[in-house]
Order: sequence, then C-alpha cells, then structure tokens
Amino acid sequence: MIETDPKYYVDGVLEGNRKALSKTITLIESALPSHQKLTHEVLDALLPHTGNSIRLGITGVPGVGKSTFIESLGLRLIEEEHQVAILAVDPSSAKSGGSIMGDKTRMEKLSADPRAFIRPSPAGRTLGGVARKTRESILVCEAAGFDVVMVETVGVGQSEYSVASMVDFFLVLLLAGAGDELQGIKRGIIEIADAIAVNKADGNNIENAANAKAAYENALHMMAPASPVWQPPVMTCSALTMTGIDAIWHNVLEHRHLMQQAGEFDRKRREQAMDWFLYLLDEGLKEWFYQLPDVKEMLPGIRRQITDGRTTAMAGARRLLETLSTMLQNDS
Amino acid sequence: MAKHPDKKKWAEIAEKELKGKSPESLNWQSPEGITIKPLYTSEDLEGIDFIDSLPGFDPFVRGPRATMYTLRPWTIRQYAGFSSAKESNEFYKRNLAAGQKGLSVAFDLATHRGYDSDHPRVIGDVGKAGVPIDSVEDMKILFNEIPLDKMSVSMTMNGAVLPVLAGYIVAAEEQGVSQEKLTGTIQNDILKEYLTRNTYIYPPEPSMRIVSDIIGYCSEHMPKYNTVSISGYHMMEAGADSVLQTAFTIADGIEYVRAALNAGLDIDAFAPRLSFFFGVGMNFFMEIAMLRAARYLWADLMKQFNPKSQKSLMLRTHVQTSGWSLTQQDPYNNIVRTTLEALAAALGGTQSLHTNAFDEAVSLPTDLSARVARNTQIIIQEESQVTRVVDPLAGSYYVESLTSEIVKKARALIDEVEELGGMTKAIVAGMPKMRIEEAAARRQAKIDQGKEVIVGVNKYKVEDEVPIEVREISEAVRDNQVAWINQIKEKRDAAEVKRCLEAITNCAESGGNLLEVCIPAVRARATVGEISDAMEKVFGRYTATTQCISGVYAGEYQDDEIIVSIRKRTEQFMEKRGRRPRILLTKMGQDGHDRGIKVVATAYADLGFDVDISPMFQTPEEASKMAIENDVHVVGVSSLAGAHKILVPQLIESLKSQGAGDILIVVGGIIPPGDYEFLFNAGVTNVFGPGTMVTDSANQVLNALEKKG
Repeated sequence: MIETDPKYYVDGVLEGNRKALSKTITLIESALPSHQKLTHEVLDALLPHTGNSIRLGITGVPGVGKSTFIESLGLRLIEEEHQVAILAVDPSSAKSGGSIMGDKTRMEKLSADPRAFIRPSPAGRTLGGVARKTRESILVCEAAGFDVVMVETVGVGQSEYSVASMVDFFLVLLLAGAGDELQGIKRGIIEIADAIAVNKADGNNIENAANAKAAYENALHMMAPASPVWQPPVMTCSALTMTGIDAIWHNVLEHRHLMQQAGEFDRKRREQAMDWFLYLLDEGLKEWFYQLPDVKEMLPGIRRQITDGRTTAMAGARRLLETLSTMLQNDS
Repeated sequence: MAKHPDKKKWAEIAEKELKGKSPESLNWQSPEGITIKPLYTSEDLEGIDFIDSLPGFDPFVRGPRATMYTLRPWTIRQYAGFSSAKESNEFYKRNLAAGQKGLSVAFDLATHRGYDSDHPRVIGDVGKAGVPIDSVEDMKILFNEIPLDKMSVSMTMNGAVLPVLAGYIVAAEEQGVSQEKLTGTIQNDILKEYLTRNTYIYPPEPSMRIVSDIIGYCSEHMPKYNTVSISGYHMMEAGADSVLQTAFTIADGIEYVRAALNAGLDIDAFAPRLSFFFGVGMNFFMEIAMLRAARYLWADLMKQFNPKSQKSLMLRTHVQTSGWSLTQQDPYNNIVRTTLEALAAALGGTQSLHTNAFDEAVSLPTDLSARVARNTQIIIQEESQVTRVVDPLAGSYYVESLTSEIVKKARALIDEVEELGGMTKAIVAGMPKMRIEEAAARRQAKIDQGKEVIVGVNKYKVEDEVPIEVREISEAVRDNQVAWINQIKEKRDAAEVKRCLEAITNCAESGGNLLEVCIPAVRARATVGEISDAMEKVFGRYTATTQCISGVYAGEYQDDEIIVSIRKRTEQFMEKRGRRPRILLTKMGQDGHDRGIKVVATAYADLGFDVDISPMFQTPEEASKMAIENDVHVVGVSSLAGAHKILVPQLIESLKSQGAGDILIVVGGIIPPGDYEFLFNAGVTNVFGPGTMVTDSANQVLNALEKKG
C-alpha cells in the first residue's frame, strides 16, 4: 500500500515522523514511473529544508568492519546530541535479484536507539541505480532533521564513486597486512578518499596497523590531493576498543572547517550538483531515446544486421542516429 | 596380503539384476561427501590401523572401557526442566522412581543469558524452555530430597556457568554434602555457543578464561566432577553432518586443553575430567561410525600433549537423539525415529543417553511422552540383548570403512582449523559457522525437494492429524519468580552482597579464580543476574556478528521449476509494486536458536526476496522499530523457545501504535498447534511449523501479500 498524497510524505518528514521518512525512501527507491513522478513532487517541497547535514561516506571491502565502525561512531555522535541517519547499500544477487541485509546485526545498540535512523537498501541488479537514489534519500533525511548522514557502501564495485560524489567527506576503511597493499580496493578509490583509516588496530594487531598506516601514507604522498587545502590523512582505529574514533570525527570537522574557510565546501557541493545534473541528463536522454517509437522499431533490425555481419557497429549506430535526427528536424 | 573375494563376479550378477546398469549407479553420496557403495568386502579393511584394537585400549575405537555394557549399561540421563524449581523437582523425583539413573537439568534462557527473572529483556522467556534459577534458594528447591552425594547431576549451562555452578556447590553444601563428593557434569562449553545456540554472555576471550578457571578450581576441589562437556550435539541440530560435528567438536576440545595448559594445569590432572556430548541422527551406520571415529581422533590428537595417563586419551561421551529429526506432523513416528537413534548411540558405545520425547517438535514433554522416551532406552537395555557383547559391529566391512572415512575427513577439517590458529580464531573468522549453515541450507533444499525422505512431512502425509496433548507453562511463573526474588533480596545482608559482588568485579579485572569468588556471593544470596553483571562490567556483553551465505539453497535445486516459478512471482511483484517483497526476519527474547532463520533468510534471498535480518535477542519494540525503518512488507518471527504467546502480540501492538499495522506478521518455529488460533486472533497471517517446506512458506507469504493488495 503506498500513499499517493504528496502531503503525507512532506508533512511527515518535516515533523520527523520515522514511518513517513521510511516510506519516502521507499517511494524514492521505487521503480514505478508513477512513484517517480510523486517522488519529484515530494522532493521539490522538501528541498528548501535540505543541505544542513554533515554528509559522510564510508566504504571498505567486506569484513573490514564498516558496520561496527558506524556503530561506534554513531553511538558517540548521539551522545553529543547529534541526530544520526545511516543509509547502507547492500549488494543483491545477480541471479535471483534478492538480497540479504544484515548490517543491523552489527549495529545492535545503534539500531535499537531511538535517536538513530538506519535504512539498508538493496542495490538491485544495477549498482549505479540505487546509489542515484541514495543521493535523494540523503536530502530526505536532512529534511527530517538529521544533522549527520552516513552512507555505507561495499567497496568492491562502482557504487563508491557515486557515493563519493554525493558526500562531503569520503572515508575509506582498510585492514592491516594480508600482503596485498590495496586489498582488492581499486587504486582509484584511494584517490577519492578524504581520509583512510586502518581499522581493527587492537590487541595483537596494533603494530601491523601502524605499519600499514605508514605504507598507505607513502602511497598517498605520491598522489596529488584533490583539494589544495586538504591532504588526506591516514589514521588507525579500532571500532572494538573505540580508539581512534574521536580522531576521525575530529578530522571530518576540521575538513569541513578548512573547506568552508577556503570557499571549497560550497564549490564542492556545487560541483557535485553539476555532476548530478549532467548524470541525470544523460540518463534522461537515454530513457527518452529508447522509448521513441522509431527507435523501438528500427533497433531490432539493426541489431540483427550487426549479429549477422551485414553491417558494422559503427555504421549501424550512425544510421540509427542520423535517421532519427532527420526525422526530428522534419518534425519541427 | 589377505585374500579378498572376487568382486568382479559379484559385479556381473549385480549388473544383470540392474538390467545392464553398472553397480556404481547404486552409489550414494552422503551429506558428509562420503561415497556409500552398495557392497563392502574385506578389501575395504586394507590399511585401517585400528582394525585389530581392543576395547579399553588406545585408540579406544571399540569403547573406553574393556567390558562396556556387558558389565553395566549406559546411564539413562533425561534432560528436563521447566516452569519452576518446585515443578521440575517433582518431575525429577517421579522420573527417578520410574527407572531414570542420572539427572540432567535444563535451565531457562533467561538464566542462560545471565538475566534474573525480573529483567525487562526476558518477559517471554521465564520458565519456558527450562527451569528459572535466580538464586541458590531456587537451586535448593530444585534438588530438594535428591541426595547430591549420590546423584550424578548434569547441568547444561555455558553462559551463566559461574553463578549456576556456584549455586549447585552451595546448595549441596547446605544439604550437608561437601564439594569433593559431587559427581556429574557442567557443560561449560562456551565455544559452540558462538557457533550455534548463542547462549553466551561475554566475548570469547574472557569466556575462555572462565572455562579454565572452572577446570582449575574443580581439578583441585571436585575430583569426581566433569568440568567440560564438549558438545557437538548443537552443531548437528544446527545442520552439521557427522564429519562437521566430529571435527569441530574435537577441535573445540583441543582448544580447551590448550587453555587449561596455558593456565598452568597438568594435563593428567584435568584431561580425564573432560567429557563429550554428541548428537545422533537418522543415518544409522554413519552415526555409529561417527562415535567410533571421534574416540580414535581424540586419542590420537591428545598424544601431542604427552599425557602419562591413558585416561587422558579416552573420549567418554553423552549422546542425545536428534531433535531436528522429530516432526510435528504425524508425531508418533518420532518414537520410531528416536528408537533407531538410541540404538545407533548404543552400538556406537555411548556412556550415557538422552532420548527425546515424541512431542518435542511442538512443546516440552508431558509425563506420558517422557515415560515413552525413558522406556525406549530401558527396552533396548533390558529386552533387546544388544548389551551382551562389546562393540558388536566391530569387523563389519561397512562400519569399519565408514569409521576410517570419517577419521580422514574430520582430520582434514581439524587441520584447516589449526591453520587458522585454533578454534577460537576460526570462530572469530566465521569459518565453522559458515560451514554448518551451508550444510543446513543444502539439507533443507534436499528435504524440500523430497530427495531426503521424512515420513509424514514430504512423503505419506496424513490428512487428518489428531492433535496431541501438550504441556503448557503458566504465565504466572514469571510473576511468582519475581515476587520470590524480592522476598530473598529483602532478607539478605545487603552490605555483604555488595562486598561479594565487588570482589567478583575485582577478580574479573585483576585476576584470580572466578569460581572461587562466586561461591561466597552465592552463599550471601546474590542473584545470577547480579553476579553476571559484576563480571559484565569488566568483560562486556558479546554481540554476535551475523554472516549470511547465499546461493546454496537454490544451488541445490539446480534452478528447478519451483525455484523459477517463485522467482517469477517476486519479479512480478516488483513490476507491480516498484520493489521486491521485503521481509524482516527476527528473533525476539533470549532464544538464540538461529539455524532456522538463517536457512529461511538465505532461501528467501535466493527466491528473489529482499531479506532483512535483525540482531539476535530483540525486544518487540526494537523489532518494530526496525520493521518500520526498513519499511518491510512482512515480519517473520522465529520462535523455538515458547515465548511466542507473549512476544508476538507485543510486536503487533508496537507496530500498530506507530501506524504500521499494515505490516504482515508470520511466525515460524516450534509452535504448539493449540496456539495457532491464539496467534491468528492476535493478527498473525501464517504460522509455519517444523517440516514446512521453505518454498511453500514463500508461496504462502506471497499469497498473503497479493491478497492484501
């Protein structure tokens, strides 16, 4: 059952009603065209109330301890009277399309705390798609009064690029040792990090973590920082013993302060908005294009010709685009 | 080289009987990955090094004692406890009068998890799956008129093991029985709790210290007492096959030995007091071979610690028949199943045995079902004559070969655990739990497809089931228990209690033997909850990390029609509603049995659902918060410990009060048929009892969702 009156969502979210917030996120994530239209109405109404949170992205390979880290940081922030929302993107099975979302089992205290809101979302079969929706979910959380919004994503695919492009601060969690320096995380991820934290620096692992920290520092020094005012630091932390968590949060605040002072903060958000605009335009164009009756009619034939080797890929694409362009000109 | 019969000749005739198919077509792959052939001969005994061993001698394959049951049969030890200490005590006394030989105490889940009966997190659990023990006063009632110097008592306790063992010691003391006379067993096997049952309190490391403190204290003061019962039973119940059960249990044992050695104890001072606890299921010869193989492996692996006493190599075990093999459907069949399992345990050479009652798939045993269960053993012992010969299956080509196969496969797995740095590390890495859950999902898929037959469930179903009588636990139990705690708290010396509790906290922090400091606290009438809290201040409470496997359930089906058809339904649901059907699976209260919910989670995800899993031990309010935040269509509650009548209505209430009354509720697990109506009236859409095929339940959930629109 889905409410069709935009007022239900807008008023509910602005009142901070959990159920309305949750339903709004469902609406945003829905694949139905009618829901998308409603989403736009709701978002337009909420937009004036957004933008006021610290947006923090967190990534790392499975097993790095993301959820436990978020539990520790989140509990600490709610003690400081912050309103904390967490959006987690979970991978789905390519075969069945279904997914298992168990993040909250590792956030036992935080998920039970009424001051925190945690929403896991299935990535679905297309990773990019859900991340797009996460951006809108951030806005809704802000409108509901949350002043810290964390986005958790598994650092093995492409989703972390989109996440980095929607947050103010992008934290990459890594583990010490295991030989391979970047542990399956693409080198590119390190380039977009605002900070790296070596997690599980506890017990027998403290020394390993310190060594890993030094290694990552060396690696980072060889890259040009994304912003002139911020050199991404490498830290160690333990979500288990709560060490290093404060220092990471301090860095997030320091980053925000320096970026704001230099005017970088607003520039970054504007850039993100521009990227977002171009992305939406791209997606919209594609969607519009493939729905055109002429395209629907011509496409199968051209595909068949390419399969049979009767035409080349380049010629096929050109023919489709040119025909279409002529038709559009004749129309106008 | 011994002469073997000519198998070729046999194969020729067999092929004729098979109308041209090769005899290999009769091979069967057991869940353990062992190929079971249609025929075994003396050839299969080649190279087996224990084939000429004797009972009572290393490697003890043929039994720990030379005479085995020819002198004295195994101990009939029925596990029981429910409602209150007084009711349980009366039940014990009736059973002892009717031929039971040893006691085995089942505690309720509140006690297991270190909560007193008045704690807000245990409202649904008090007295349900065992007896509630809050203070030594309850312990004294539990053993009233049972002389503890004569009766061997086994206590299944792992989480709150210190206050409970101290309570037993003080209850005996106040009966006039001194510690050194006490005989029996404390389970004290914390490692397997992290694998399967989840009735732990503290994280693994401090928990291992508690284990070695108990071993240390008892080896000095209670020489006749078994200090650890290393348990594979719960692994089997969670889905482990015989190889997984054997390997992980033996690996747990090795880990305890190392912990005790590290605490400075002498191997021969404690190793003979370690005992085992295996589960025996329906694969008759496999179960027998498993017990024989386990004895071989233990003797073999213990040699690395250079014990001087042969007793340190000897695996002595208790066995319980499988609870998982029991069905709610056509429940009298369970008597037959239990009989076969009991016979397998006897032929495998167990030292004591619990036989399940036929109604245990739905509730706690009644006096009648408990009598049948007990008599099952007595009939085997006193009517069947199987006790006349030691290890009667020795020399069987099949059983000896199977024993040797299990040894080989289990040893390979133990080596894998050792490579990870021992069982504690392997558990932290999640390896054993994943293996067990994989096995469980595979097996469920086999059962759901009818490839593994369960009579009354997936074959020869009965249309009109006659309901059986079940035992109900009165809801007044908790109120009475709370009033009783308050009464005890009023009378005791508060300053003395405080002093004792502080001593426990100090000992937890700075070292010393924890059991030694818990005993005075129990004497002063400190409660189980207070003593557990005193340690929790230092150790913290452990949070389980839930890992989930995926693809295993559907993989076993190989994209069978039924899987495809449900995937189509979830896909259609998405096309219509804009997202997949989303279900929150949750466990509320202190019931930590999570095999079922894990299997359902992985299967539903394979069928195209989006599945949320809650942390363990939720309150109804916490579960409803999660259902609303995750915006699920359905909440699936798993309940195996009798708390459903209290917790499910509270969950529904909590959802309604937040405007989320439209979320469907389904309940699965051990629910007495008489409670179905109660749950439907409370607003539950479906109840799925034991034996429900996962694919059926998924279709029913989808039906309910579609009906709701």
